[in-house]
Amino acid sequence: MTAYETVIGLETHIQLNTLTKIFCACKADSWEDAPNSNICPVCTGLPGVLPVLNERVVEKAVLLAEAMHAEVQPISYFDRKNYFYPDLPKGFQISQFDVPVALGGYLELPIPAAADPEGKGYVTRVRIHKLHIEEDAGKTKNDGNERQVDFNRCGVPLVEMVTEPDLRTADEAAQYLIRLRQLLRWIGISEADMEKGNLRCDANVSIRPVGATHLNEKTEIKNVNSIDSVREAIRKEVERQTREVEEGNSIKAWTLEWDQDAGVLRKMRSKETEADYRYFREPDLLPLHISEEWKTAILADFPERPLERKARFMQDYNLPEYDADILTLERALSDYFEATVKTYGGDSKKVSNWLMNDVLRMINEDHLDPAAMRLTPQYLAELLKLVDAGTINITTGKALLQQVQESGKAPMQLVEEQGLAQVSDDAAIRAVCEQIIAASPDEVAAYRGGKDSLMGWFVGQVMREMRGKADAKLAKEVLVELLK
Amino acid sequence: MELCDLSAVEVRDLLLEKKVSAVEVLDACQARIDAVDGRPGTLEPGGETKEDAQRVHAFITRTPELARAQAEAVDKQIAAGEDSGPLAGIPFTVKDIFCVKDTPSTAASRILANFNAPYTATAVERLQAAGALMLGKVNLDEFTYGSSSESSAFQPSPRNPWDTTRVPGGSSGGSAASVAAGEAFLSLGTDTAGSIRQPAAFCGVVGLKPTYGRVSRYGLIAFGSSLDCPGPLARNAKDAALMLQAMAGPDPRDATAATLDVPDYLAALEKDIKGKRIGLSPDYFQITFPQADGAYSQQPVPEEMRAAVLHAADIYRALGAEIVEDVPMPNTRYGIPVYFVISRVEAASNLHRYDGVKYGYRTQQAVGELKDLYRKSRGEGFGLQPKLRILMGMYVSAAQYSEQYYRRALRVRTLIRRDFEEAFDPQGKYRLDALLTSTTPTSAFPIQDVYGDSVLMQYADQLTVPANHAGVPGISFPAGFGADGLPIGLQLLGPDYSEATLLQLTHAYEQASAGAEWRKKRPAVLEVR
Amino acid sequence: MSEKEQVITPEVFDHLVQLAALELDEEQADYLRRELNSQLSAIRELEAIQLDPETPLASHGVPYDGNNSPALREDVWQACEDVEAITRQAPQFEDGYLIVPDIPHTPLE
Ligand SMILES: [Zn+2]
Repeated sequence: MTAYETVIGLETHIQLNTLTKIFCACKADSWEDAPNSNICPVCTGLPGVLPVLNERVVEKAVLLAEAMHAEVQPISYFDRKNYFYPDLPKGFQISQFDVPVALGGYLELPIPAAADPEGKGYVTRVRIHKLHIEEDAGKTKNDGNERQVDFNRCGVPLVEMVTEPDLRTADEAAQYLIRLRQLLRWIGISEADMEKGNLRCDANVSIRPVGATHLNEKTEIKNVNSIDSVREAIRKEVERQTREVEEGNSIKAWTLEWDQDAGVLRKMRSKETEADYRYFREPDLLPLHISEEWKTAILADFPERPLERKARFMQDYNLPEYDADILTLERALSDYFEATVKTYGGDSKKVSNWLMNDVLRMINEDHLDPAAMRLTPQYLAELLKLVDAGTINITTGKALLQQVQESGKAPMQLVEEQGLAQVSDDAAIRAVCEQIIAASPDEVAAYRGGKDSLMGWFVGQVMREMRGKADAKLAKEVLVELLK
Repeated sequence: MELCDLSAVEVRDLLLEKKVSAVEVLDACQARIDAVDGRPGTLEPGGETKEDAQRVHAFITRTPELARAQAEAVDKQIAAGEDSGPLAGIPFTVKDIFCVKDTPSTAASRILANFNAPYTATAVERLQAAGALMLGKVNLDEFTYGSSSESSAFQPSPRNPWDTTRVPGGSSGGSAASVAAGEAFLSLGTDTAGSIRQPAAFCGVVGLKPTYGRVSRYGLIAFGSSLDCPGPLARNAKDAALMLQAMAGPDPRDATAATLDVPDYLAALEKDIKGKRIGLSPDYFQITFPQADGAYSQQPVPEEMRAAVLHAADIYRALGAEIVEDVPMPNTRYGIPVYFVISRVEAASNLHRYDGVKYGYRTQQAVGELKDLYRKSRGEGFGLQPKLRILMGMYVSAAQYSEQYYRRALRVRTLIRRDFEEAFDPQGKYRLDALLTSTTPTSAFPIQDVYGDSVLMQYADQLTVPANHAGVPGISFPAGFGADGLPIGLQLLGPDYSEATLLQLTHAYEQASAGAEWRKKRPAVLEVR
Repeated sequence: MSEKEQVITPEVFDHLVQLAALELDEEQADYLRRELNSQLSAIRELEAIQLDPETPLASHGVPYDGNNSPALREDVWQACEDVEAITRQAPQFEDGYLIVPDIPHTPLE
């Protein structure tokens, strides 16, 4: 029996998070707006209107091109893609065709062990074919035997990014989307929320015998709006194609639609050929010139890419890959980490632990933005130093995280205000220890009878009595001595 | 001579001197319209009456209340000594291809007959801001697709005020007719292949196609987006200058509206034309005409056209201009075939949006699925001329034909542009300030004579369309009458953004021919009253 | 014009009509096809022109450069004043949506 390999190319549509739409001054984000409320003559294609390009769209496209190592074209053109559909009010989509805003590029894709059939994990490089700027269409939905049309989304700026057919498994496709989503948020050009349609994906899928280099007829899967669906839809389609080929049938260039609820693929209209779109230069827009000067200005603050930062964290701060990966999931978190480490000056792994165990939980539970927290990297560093110096114990330190975040006060100030400083006075601790021992004859007997594990209980009693301020290490030493 | 037969500049002076009121001026125009225009075009015109045949029928929609309110406001401003704007109190008409808020904006098509624009075109907005009074929307060829105004879905279509058995030209036929008949002082038209200049020539008025991008296209219902130019139709160069002044300039809503400063057109009129270099081209003294058998023959333009051009050249020479003969414009003859391709591709795409979903006409027939809705709505809503343009556009831009037709046409367009660049090159052999030609190959043709033959109709634009391809400005001005008693128009074409020079040269010609006998002639619709 | 010269055959014509989403009666179709062929023969005059392949495509006649090109739009929000004036134009508008007939789907297998 022939073994087949899967060949996948992804076309992603990335909604840019500009304030306004691509060709008019309507707000771009219509989330939770009433249908057909966020529209104007331009984006509804009224007779006589003209598009005017939003400069921020170009800037964001250039940022994306840079992130993908793609080559920004000094001149690119807008073209009209003509077809009839009720979500396309002008009857054509303004897009780019033969000379798009950027060409080439790649994304390095670390595939985790869990997604590697051999269980080891590996890195693959996905080449980018091109990036072009275009306008989004509206939305339609079924209502009985009618269809409802909402134009709010018309004219939301998109970058369509097309990969080369470099992906080989459904898991790789999913990883591509995960890493792309991370990158988009990292450079701040898209909210990249697939559930909200900020990031959409069409997958071109074909199969071929392992070892072959040609490309077979492919199908295009549309309307997959979560990473899990992409994985599932591709798997189903690969199964179907394999079955067809094994039965001696040929694969037809269908366009398939993923039905999320039913978890099945459906065939859409027969794929229109490009000839029918009758692309031609959009006469209402001038060629798009991106000078070196403008490009340099746009890229002036271009950040380190996430994978680069991850590698650096592992190198510079000696972090394990696991930590580095989590700390670079989001740019703001990684900035937070690094700022804390720099102010703190101590063990960066300790910072990582505090961040991943405690601060991240606060961030996730309260939906905080690391860059805007009252628990600033400076305060966190101060707090860690207080713990290191023995001024407060770890338990107090962890409790203080939340208090700093809530009050915005410096850790030291809170320690002073609340008298939280650790009691390291041997006499005071000794007195409390004696008191506890005297009040707990049964436990004392049990301990002395060999139940060493009760030491923890004694320490806990001392801490409770001293409202957490005792130096736990010291308390234990005293207890051991007294209970001998 | 009635109030409504004066020029806009004369009326403006009378208004500022408080010798007449804006309401009086408006009433004079309304009275003229009532007298000569006949019934406005409608979708269900019924049979044509004998009276219809003698009327102008410039209008589709009149907006008298709006105009009245604005006239009263202008009168108040003038009385209070406030700045009422450079066009205050001047009634004008708008070709019904411009959107005007809360006014039917029909494009003379059934498919937009019930469309009420929710916004106003930039050009109209600026005219209104300058104080001009909009009388209403005037008729045209459906979606501007024609050169006679006969293809309007709103019948009766406009007639030529000089001879109502003749067409007024097109597609700005209603515009030219309304200005010629004294219904309005000014009209806002559009020119894609000659649609301002040709009807101006046919109706004996001045029509200016500005440089592409000089006047914003925002709100102009698009035909050929890379060719369309809004521009003035007026009684003389001065009025056209006044009107252009109010409209020209950059517009943040049109990404192709040039950001160059707008010169003072009125001031330019008074300058001496001494030393101006005016060219004549043999390629504009002949036309290439399709024959009934499909073959093409080159014919010289009619002798009286040629004579009018040469006579104007003599006048200019006498005024101190230099006449440069034999300027080659070899690609002129390709203007129409190139236009057949480019304008159709753009038009077909521009007409995609009319689908019965968002606005305008939707079929009344029961439809099972969306495709039927599209086909029936478009099939019933569009007339033959839009359909023809859509189908041709579909054909020549299809991927498998695009290289052969569309892309080739864009290259030939470059050649046409180069003809002008060489003629106007300040360091070149000819160094022209303007090229002088006849505007049209013939005077206004009889109604029904050409209509239906889309090729022959298109060749009426042969001498005007190259300027649209090249983007350069052109002006048509009256230069007498032919043996048939119909106006003859001459055309001046100039380099990019040289409207001031074209207006200046036109003004000079007007001054020099002011005493000519032909200037006394009045349109037939005014004589029979 | 002979049949042979008619580049736009009835088959090509039907395809164009399909693409154009037009429903035509026979009389209209005859007229339109005849005119198309006649225009096409005018267009074919262009084929005889010797063109340097380097000749650029002129999408506009007037050249645009730094002197006359408008700046791009700033990303500033300005809400439409009268959205209802737009939706009011729709032939069928219910519950905030424009309504169109359904688009048939073909299920896979
Ligand atoms: Zn909008």
